[in-house]
Amino acid sequence: MFAGENSGDNAGNNVSIVDGKQIIEIDAKGGYNPRKTAAKADIPTVLKIKTSGTFDCSSALVIPSLGYRKNLPPSGEILVDIPLQKAGSAIQGMCAMGMYNFTLDFN
Amino acid sequence: MIDLNKKTYTFHVHGMHCNACVLLIESELSNYPGVISVKAKLNSRSVEITGNFGHKTEGEIAKLLSVPIEDNGYTLSLEKQIDSKNWSDFKIAIPIALALAALFVLLQKLGIVNLVSGENVGFGTAFLIGIVASLSTCMAVVGGLLLSMSATFVKVGDKIKPQLLFHLGRLISFFVLGGVIGTLGAVFTLNISATFVLNLIIGMVMLILGINLLDTFHLAKKFQLGVPKFISKHTLDISKWNHSITPLLVGVVTFFMPCGFTQSMQIYTLSTGSFLAGGLTMFSFALGTLPVLALISFSSFSIKNSSKSGIFFKSAGLIVIMFALFNLINALVVIGIIPPIFNF
Repeated sequence: MFAGENSGDNAGNNVSIVDGKQIIEIDAKGGYNPRKTAAKADIPTVLKIKTSGTFDCSSALVIPSLGYRKNLPPSGEILVDIPLQKAGSAIQGMCAMGMYNFTLDFN
Repeated sequence: MIDLNKKTYTFHVHGMHCNACVLLIESELSNYPGVISVKAKLNSRSVEITGNFGHKTEGEIAKLLSVPIEDNGYTLSLEKQIDSKNWSDFKIAIPIALALAALFVLLQKLGIVNLVSGENVGFGTAFLIGIVASLSTCMAVVGGLLLSMSATFVKVGDKIKPQLLFHLGRLISFFVLGGVIGTLGAVFTLNISATFVLNLIIGMVMLILGINLLDTFHLAKKFQLGVPKFISKHTLDISKWNHSITPLLVGVVTFFMPCGFTQSMQIYTLSTGSFLAGGLTMFSFALGTLPVLALISFSSFSIKNSSKSGIFFKSAGLIVIMFALFNLINALVVIGIIPPIFNF
């Protein structure tokens, strides 16, 4: 059902496709979970970041390749639109101090 | 007849570390009876004194002239302080620094950040978050900067005041700026490039201070922070200025430093909607970070006069350098220049 047998950490449990839109869910608290996500290339994608009682660095989200920088609310979720990605590309998100990160691999 | 006794002596100065020291030594010694001219040199750590001291031997003169500058932590001697490098200190300092770095990584791996939960943040919770923050990766920035600063001040003989001013600056600014955020409902967020520049500056400052603390590579002295001598000569009290305004300002600046906890507390403070509630929330948070930060700054001054001080300053220098590199690498990671290296 999901493309993504290639990488180890998860096989797309956090990826769903609703109405032709790919939704990737990442939990932010004491780091980002899952750290690696295999996602589908070439379809509209939304990144959903969830916080719950998050006061650490992971609430200060940066996605360098998108020029994205936002302080997340301590609890709640935010959506980040991700432009169409070609197969083989990857997007990295991290906290503003750089010690927590996550990767989205598009295939 | 009188000028027969006029001679020029060169003494080595122990404890001379900065441009301000040069001025201080020159001004203290030139007032001493018998002294005609004084010229202190930072790079050779020596002082050239021309004067008339009767029939005293060089050794006696060195002892005599040490008296007025002793309180500031300097002594004069005939021989060069060969052992100041004391490589053997590294045998103990390196394992200490590595052990503390390992402890730091372990604390992050244990997930102490997950101890905080709940959505309603009272002042008690803010205080707890402060404690957790002071043990987290924020330590690499705020703690590292504080350690480099306090150890540097202690080294030039200024023990208590700069430390107190730093903490005072931090607590007051957190209350006032927290109050402002609460009132205005706007938060001071630095954008990516401003964060990058700030990270880079902090990293470089820590790197230079850390290298200076090692007291091994005199090269770094050339880049030492501080006001060039030609400026400081014209503003007499520069040493005082340096030692009080600087730590106070550094304390204030920590409000804006890249620390995830500080930033998320600021976001929460937005929602308080009043000066008092906002101010007290940020103040409680700062208070929570105080015990660990106070431990860092006061560890430096308790050690100054003990025989272990060489080991302390070298360990501190190594830790500061590691934190500096950590911050610099992370700064490059966040702006997207290099891929992430650390992932706790």
